[in-house]
Amino acid sequence: MSKKTTHILTIGLVLSTVPQYSETFFRNKIKGLQKKGFRVVLFVDYYEPEDSTFDCEIVASPHFGGSFFKRLFYSFIVILKAVFFSPKCSFRLFKLNRVDGISLKANLKQLILNQFFFSQDLDWLHFGFGMLAVGRENVATAMQANMAVSFRGYDLYLSPLKHPGCFNILFTKVVRYHVLSEEMKLTLTEYQISPSSIYVITPAIDTQFFNSNNHVTKSSIVQLITIGRLHWKKGFEYTLQALAYLKQNGIGFHYTIIGDGDEKERLIFAAHQLGILDNITFAGKLPQKEVKAKLEKSAIYIQYSIQEGFCNAVLEAQAMGLLCVVSDAEGLQENVLHAETGWVVTKRQPKLLANQLISVIKLSEKEKTAIQEHAIIRVRNHFNLNKQQTAFQSFYKL
Amino acid sequence: MKTPLKIAIYSGEIPSTTFIERLITGLSQSGTQVLLFGVKHKLPAYSNQVTVLGYKPDRLSKFFYVFKFTVLLTLFKRHDKKRLDTYLKQQHKTDLYTKVKYYPVLWHQPDVFHVQWAKGLDDWMWVQDFGMKLVFSLRGAHINYSPIADETLAVMYSNCFPKVDGFHAVSKAIGLEAEKYGANANRIHVVYSGLDLNVLKANVPKVSTTETRFKMISVGRPHWKKGYSYMLDACKQLKDSGFHFNYIIVGGSDTIEYQYHIHDLGLTDNVQLISKKRFQDVQHLIQESDLLVLPSVEEGIANVVLEAMASGTLVLSTDCGGMQEVIRDGETGFLVPIRDSKSLAHKISAIANLQPAEKKYIRETALQTITKSHTIQQMVESMFKLYHRVLNV
Repeated sequence: MSKKTTHILTIGLVLSTVPQYSETFFRNKIKGLQKKGFRVVLFVDYYEPEDSTFDCEIVASPHFGGSFFKRLFYSFIVILKAVFFSPKCSFRLFKLNRVDGISLKANLKQLILNQFFFSQDLDWLHFGFGMLAVGRENVATAMQANMAVSFRGYDLYLSPLKHPGCFNILFTKVVRYHVLSEEMKLTLTEYQISPSSIYVITPAIDTQFFNSNNHVTKSSIVQLITIGRLHWKKGFEYTLQALAYLKQNGIGFHYTIIGDGDEKERLIFAAHQLGILDNITFAGKLPQKEVKAKLEKSAIYIQYSIQEGFCNAVLEAQAMGLLCVVSDAEGLQENVLHAETGWVVTKRQPKLLANQLISVIKLSEKEKTAIQEHAIIRVRNHFNLNKQQTAFQSFYKL
Repeated sequence: MKTPLKIAIYSGEIPSTTFIERLITGLSQSGTQVLLFGVKHKLPAYSNQVTVLGYKPDRLSKFFYVFKFTVLLTLFKRHDKKRLDTYLKQQHKTDLYTKVKYYPVLWHQPDVFHVQWAKGLDDWMWVQDFGMKLVFSLRGAHINYSPIADETLAVMYSNCFPKVDGFHAVSKAIGLEAEKYGANANRIHVVYSGLDLNVLKANVPKVSTTETRFKMISVGRPHWKKGYSYMLDACKQLKDSGFHFNYIIVGGSDTIEYQYHIHDLGLTDNVQLISKKRFQDVQHLIQESDLLVLPSVEEGIANVVLEAMASGTLVLSTDCGGMQEVIRDGETGFLVPIRDSKSLAHKISAIANLQPAEKKYIRETALQTITKSHTIQQMVESMFKLYHRVLNV
């Protein structure tokens, strides 16, 4: 399958949209690959005019919306393209899909929807999320490119529950997988994927930007903070329950949540019922500089998620010298080493979280400093952008 | 002969939810003329006393509907139309959607305009300027938590509540909550939800079967306020303690939060999420169960609890909203604190171990409570009292 190439390797990265400013993982990844000499082509399903400023070649999927006749017309144009411009790729895709037992109708649909990939000559077609590869399992082979798939936490742990069997075809293909943690690697091997084709490349952060130089912890009450979407998987309801125990124990605190989402009403009401609404600030989504400023004013970072691939925010908090208390959800226990660089608490156990927070608050300055320093060094050494870029360079080695 | 009252029931949609439809049926059967405004969907068979004045949701239907009432108002109620148009201009609401909502109400001018959902209350304050009395139902979420999370809504309530002619509170607790936004206590009338007991009579004998698993059920949309996550945590504790059970959440299917929760805690053999069912099918499932659980963090008074009590199924509820007005712990059912999975697990275990005579006593007292305070007749009579009070008749 692999091409003998002396030319610049071209990576086709498939995402749903062009990564926004806050989506640091893909932005860093693209920038890093370009820096290492790769050509990156970004394939997206949705494209906005302002995306044109993004420093990368972008190929957007054609829009098939509108009335039935409009869709029919677009489909006809795409089929003409398939016949005259990419007959070989199209034929190969059709044949491979037939082998997989895909019905004629679904096969034709795939042929039309995936035609936009065939305009490019690629060495790798890399799907940024597992679900983006569903219905496109044979596209890379049809293009005679190698196939890679990245799994994030949501993809690997939630999508198969929502769409049972969604990865059945994908997992039969020759794919190089990228996951964020050893825990995710283990989960993938449970699907009979060979460990040798799974690469763990953890997220990385800009350790120059997130540094602890300006860290201020002096406050009469403990300043707690979490950064994350207001989504059930972040475990905020359990966190709030734990904070209610803290209050019952007479511990003064203020908790800032940076992030927005559909669950705001749920969380405000929970805080109200638990009697801690006055102790909480829902700061909403903030720009990176303001996030850093909030972290500087906080002492303890909490990430008591129910489901989490790895979590960049915890890395940033550690790099900033915050004491991190996290749940044991998937990759978090690799992100933070219990009692070494922070603390890991069993998930869905608010009393345990409260007890852990109390004991962290009561630690001596010396004990706190030891953990902080260890965490800062570990993040700087293991989760920096350079290391991640090198890891991706090896990932694409043919 | 006295002219029958003209009562408008407004929920925005026709037909509306089960309990609002029950109210419409009850009122119409007692000789009141009921007017229904709003978006018209597939209509049930209403009696002659019910006049449906809704419109179809498409643009063309709306246009003809507005046109009809514009002509009628211009010809016969020119002055009123002018006043309303001036008001709408001041409010910057001159769009088609507003007129399609307002013009038919102005044309028909019912004696009472009864708004069912709080969030749209400020849209209807104008009816009072045209001699209509404004009654407003205080139901669950719109009062109990939405204004806590939404300051604009709280301000709107504080502005509007003092002016409302009458409040229908689904529980005493929610009435007290409304007072926080300036609702006059004298204008709050508690009218409990009423059931048709003929439909709900238990038809599954509560006898022990060969089934060794304790069967539990919850019914409700997959909304966070239903507190299913607490119940699932309780299920985990029950499973770990060796308790054999089966738990069904009707209406919870395809909800990834619960799907993951069940998978994560290894409860797939014990817990099933099933889709929304027809009323009769839900009743059958409730009657087949040993216990109906309401793990909610907020409720007015949950109708499903009343239905279970009427049909002879034991109920365990959290002590939220007005639930303690219907459930007295250990007498008509069981209560546990909100957001407390440990208490839920302990209580479930204790209920399963009750003697048959104790269970029978609770079922009987539960049924007595329903018969005493939650029939359709009582609901309609109380609602009439409220309407008469606001009309001073």
